[in-house]
Amino acid sequence: MEIALIIVLVVLVILAIVVIVQFNRLRTLAVACDEGLSQIDVQLQRRADLIPNLVETVKGYASHERKVFEDVTKARAAVGSAKTVNEIAAADNQLTAALRGLLAVAEAYPDLKASANFIQLQEELGATENRVAFARQYYNDQVRAINTALTTIPGNFVGPIAKVTEREFYEVEEVSDRATPEVKFG
Amino acid sequence: MSSPVRAASFALVQRSNRYKTFFLLLAMFLVLALLASWTVYYLGGSGAWIVPIAVLISVAITWGAWWNSDKFVLRMANAKIVTREQAPQLYNLVEELTIASGLPMPKIAVVEDSAPNAFATGRDPEHGVVAFTTGLLQKMDRDEIQGVAAHELAHIGNRDTLVMAVAATTAGIIAIMADVIFRATLFSGGRREGGHPFLALIGVVALVLAPLAAALLRASVSRKREWLADATAVAYTRNPQGLRRALETLRDDSTVVKQTSTAISHMWIESPLAGGLGQMFSTHPPIQERIDALRQMGG
Repeated sequence: MEIALIIVLVVLVILAIVVIVQFNRLRTLAVACDEGLSQIDVQLQRRADLIPNLVETVKGYASHERKVFEDVTKARAAVGSAKTVNEIAAADNQLTAALRGLLAVAEAYPDLKASANFIQLQEELGATENRVAFARQYYNDQVRAINTALTTIPGNFVGPIAKVTEREFYEVEEVSDRATPEVKFG
Repeated sequence: MSSPVRAASFALVQRSNRYKTFFLLLAMFLVLALLASWTVYYLGGSGAWIVPIAVLISVAITWGAWWNSDKFVLRMANAKIVTREQAPQLYNLVEELTIASGLPMPKIAVVEDSAPNAFATGRDPEHGVVAFTTGLLQKMDRDEIQGVAAHELAHIGNRDTLVMAVAATTAGIIAIMADVIFRATLFSGGRREGGHPFLALIGVVALVLAPLAAALLRASVSRKREWLADATAVAYTRNPQGLRRALETLRDDSTVVKQTSTAISHMWIESPLAGGLGQMFSTHPPIQERIDALRQMGG
């Protein structure tokens, strides 16, 4: 009789430990997902802050390439007004494409390409684009981890207790958003 | 052009090397436990003091170094910390990796040396340091440097200074104990009454072999952590080509880092000590195998 009691107690203790470990793990992942999202915002903001400087530098050498500047300004505004994860993702892709267009234009102006200011801005912009991409990657990694934990045992039992729910990945839904806009000269 | 990175493969390599590390360390502890048991049994009560004394000495030596590893190693390698202003591109590419990995920003240092190499140290991610030789920064492009930086940051993220400190401590305890016991049995022959001579023989053989086994296991742990660091680097960058091309540059470059102190030799991305002792004692896997593995991951 005593042995049975001890066994039941041991099982209960093990169960409690499992629940606590999973609970903490799920909560930690949820916080990491939140952090990942705000990190994306931080990097997008950083890129947005760099853009006026970049546009002005390019305008200094290629003032008549108006379409490209418009694309960039419009895309930048779109990122600012996006709300959901998917909206941000779509707007972000548009801005990336517009910036690529701007830099492609700059290729045609050797004076601009050689200026120290532009070279520095290129590195900063390239680095910022990378930072946005890595922030997305980090967020998606955390989402993958939390969704996997919530859909496997024992996380699926502890999930409702911890009030942790699945998150959506940072990805573009509309195929058309993936298309790079044409850059027209003249 | 390049095949897509197989997301599953680097994760598999990571998991497998974490398991291997665990079992290797377990094996080391078992060797230690067996040695300690034999000591207590064979040398009797007073001889048992060797065990805690060996532990204390080894811990004091290893863990002091681990705690101050950032300052200690920087001084040994003659590395200079650089700021964002002094090395903007390097700073940027390391910062990108901290975003991808979620690790805090480490200190970045540069070592004056024409041989391309890099290392990472620090007792935990909050005290992390990554260092690059001037040779590496000159000979590699941005993606390659980022691959190397990712490998080094992976060492920090995987707490390899801690893992290697544990391995070093255990190997150290075994070595100290074996040495002391060997001398003790040689001079005093402190055999217990009615002790079995066969047991004594096994013990002596084990005494000689134990430090050897410990050294082999320790080297094996180091190699597993290198595989893990390569796979984790790919997890951070999702760009196995960068690290693969960097390793190819290292493979084809014949210069060797001037800093060849054995104390920190295991931390460089490419071992500066020639493989004279043979593959089993090497702290790093063969570089061509590492390149092949990265190609497997889509690099």
